[in-house]
Amino acid sequence: MNSKITYSEQELVALLQQRNEKAFGYLYDNYSGALYGIINSIVTDKEIANDVLQNVFVNIWRKIESYDAVKGRLFTWMLNIARNASIDEVRSKGFKDSQKNQSLNENVDIAGAVTGPAIDDVGLKKVLTKLKGELRVLVDMSYFQGFTHEEISKVLDIPLGTVKTRIRSALIQLRTMIQ
Amino acid sequence: MDIKEYISSGIVESYVLGLASPEERSEFEQLCTQYPELLKARIAFELAIEKQAMDNAIAPPAGLKNKILTELDSPAAKVITMQSAPVKNLNWLKYAAAACVALLAGSIYLNVSLSNKNKSLQNNYNNTVAELGEVKKDIQTLIGNPNIKMASMKGMAVSPQSYATVYWDTTSHDVYLLTNNLPIPASNKQYQLWAIFDGKPVDLGVFDIKKERLLIQTKNAQGAEAFAITLEEKGGSPTPKGDMYVMGKL
Repeated sequence: MNSKITYSEQELVALLQQRNEKAFGYLYDNYSGALYGIINSIVTDKEIANDVLQNVFVNIWRKIESYDAVKGRLFTWMLNIARNASIDEVRSKGFKDSQKNQSLNENVDIAGAVTGPAIDDVGLKKVLTKLKGELRVLVDMSYFQGFTHEEISKVLDIPLGTVKTRIRSALIQLRTMIQ
Repeated sequence: MDIKEYISSGIVESYVLGLASPEERSEFEQLCTQYPELLKARIAFELAIEKQAMDNAIAPPAGLKNKILTELDSPAAKVITMQSAPVKNLNWLKYAAAACVALLAGSIYLNVSLSNKNKSLQNNYNNTVAELGEVKKDIQTLIGNPNIKMASMKGMAVSPQSYATVYWDTTSHDVYLLTNNLPIPASNKQYQLWAIFDGKPVDLGVFDIKKERLLIQTKNAQGAEAFAITLEEKGGSPTPKGDMYVMGKL
């Protein structure tokens, strides 16, 4: 099954846009694991994670026309599809309200309390554990749970501007950790 | 604009991770075309994230790839690409023509059956929307009106699991009945709603249990002390004669 062919990103995109199934197989073989990792850091249930991965690849196939290389790399595009699909899935399962309520009942000092719905020792999540209390909560809520800055501001009762600056500074720290 | 400051503001990370607002995104994309160093910073972070994700890949279950490939072959996912190839051989042309006829027939059949299906789906949809509109109207009548009071009517000995609710408007005096759970009556019988004044029943009319309708607007019953439902001969009775199914005091 493992073909030795490698494609450059442009070649791969061009072939995918021509609906080349072989290129799609290559895409799956090379990137499904990385995307599955991200999905599993957001979605707890294995069965649901499998469904999400399936939807993600079907969507990649269907929407490849709309991929614009000027705006970012192919992997970034796929990663965002995977993240959004995972968050949609978790939210549609009603996690959103329970998570929100949980946060509303507590103070900002909930660093330990708001752990995301999924595994903590994988990938970016693992990096996240190295962030300090509140910054970790902010990144977790925005990246892994998909809350908007406005929602976080309301839920944690922190001014919107502060939410934005703190998330930015948390992201800068994350960057230094992964590079 | 101090592009160095912009680059180190966290916007690059925010953009790549999909956390930037639409305004921030379009500004960022615009600036990327002007400042090569910004583009470089974006690509560097994209590669770092990609490597991070690759290093932490989790292998999906073995069967999933084939499942996905099968789904791609389903009509919904398939995008047909036409390729024209020169026909070199007359025999080929014959087969091709036969294949075309077969395809055309198949296509016509599919079109007709899909069109029928589409029509019936459209009908179902319209019916559902209409029903939903009715239910919405009912709910608005009850929820949107602060003057509505309710009384639940509990099942009596003949049918303890029966349950109905009466709502009435203290200003307009309209009465609404919600038949939560009443057994379907025999075809020669009908339920009749009564309001009780000073211990005496006053007829509020007979009704049929319609599944699609939550509420039945009945005659005005201002000042009633209780409501009851009995099962009477079809058409109703001037005084209650049949079994009492539910009753609720106000």
